[in-house]
Amino acid sequence: MMLLTISTYAVGELDYSGVIAVSFLLLTALIKGSFIIRDFMELKGVALIWRVIMYGWLWTVCLVIATTYFISI
Amino acid sequence: MSRRLASTCIKLIFYLKYKNAVPRSNTKIEPKLLPGDLAIWLFIFMELLVFGIFFMVYAVMRIQNIEQFNYYQLTLNRELGAANTLLLITSSYFIVKAVHAVKANNIKNCIYWLYAALAGGLGFLILKTWEYIDKFSAGISLSTNTFYMFYLSLTIFHFMHVILGMLILFAIVIKAKGGAYSAENYIGVETGASYWHMVDLVWIILFPLVYIMR
Repeated sequence: MMLLTISTYAVGELDYSGVIAVSFLLLTALIKGSFIIRDFMELKGVALIWRVIMYGWLWTVCLVIATTYFISI
Repeated sequence: MSRRLASTCIKLIFYLKYKNAVPRSNTKIEPKLLPGDLAIWLFIFMELLVFGIFFMVYAVMRIQNIEQFNYYQLTLNRELGAANTLLLITSSYFIVKAVHAVKANNIKNCIYWLYAALAGGLGFLILKTWEYIDKFSAGISLSTNTFYMFYLSLTIFHFMHVILGMLILFAIVIKAKGGAYSAENYIGVETGASYWHMVDLVWIILFPLVYIMR
C-alpha cells in the first residue's frame, strides 16, 4: 500500500498525464481500495450483498472517473 | 408377487448404484457477520454514496474546465497529500492491530494501537491545517474558482470525517480503559474500526483524483 502511494505521488512529480497515467492511478486506487475493503475492513467472507455494495462503489466511482478523463483527453 | 419382485429389483438397482456414493456434506458455510454494528455500516454506505457522487461530479465538471483544473492542480502541495495518504494507511493498519488485540483479550495492546491510530489521525489534521493556512493566506477561498471550490469543499468535508472518526476512536479508548471490551465483547471496537477504514478508503480515491490526475 505504501509503495502504491509513493508510485502515485511519483506520477504527479514526473508530471505524467494522459490515458496511461490516469489508468495507472485508477488501477492503483482500485488495488488499494480492495485491500482496505478485504483486509482492513475484513469483509472477506461476509454476505455477498455487503461485498457487492462496497466493491460496487469502488468500481463505479473509478469507472466514471476514468470515463470522464478519457472523454476529455 | 410380481409387485414385490419389482420393488426388490428397484431396491437392488439403487443399492448397486449408490452403495459407493459418499454422502456429500451439506453443511452450508454460513457467511461471516459484518464486523461491528449494522447501523454504522448503513451510515458508511450513505457517506460513501455522498463522496462517490462528489467525486463523479468533480470529474464531470472538470471536462468543462480542463485548463483551469490542470493549472490550479499544480498549486496543490502534493508532498503533504502523499504524506497524509501514508499517515491514513498506517493508522488504518494500527486499527486492524487494535481489533486483533481485543479479540485476543489483550486490552492493553488494544489501547496502545488505538492511541497510535489517533496519533496518525492527528498528524493528518496537522498537515491538512498547514495546507489550508497556506492556501487561505494566499487569498484562496471557495469562491476563487471552480477547481478550488471542489478542492476545498471535498477536502474540508473529508477533514470533518477524520475529526468524527477520531472522536469515535477516542470514545472507544475511554470505554476500553473502563473495561467495556473483551474477547467476548468487541463489537464497539469493530464499529469504530469500520468507520475509520471508510475515512481511509475515501482518501485513497480523493488524493489521486484531486492532487495528481490530469
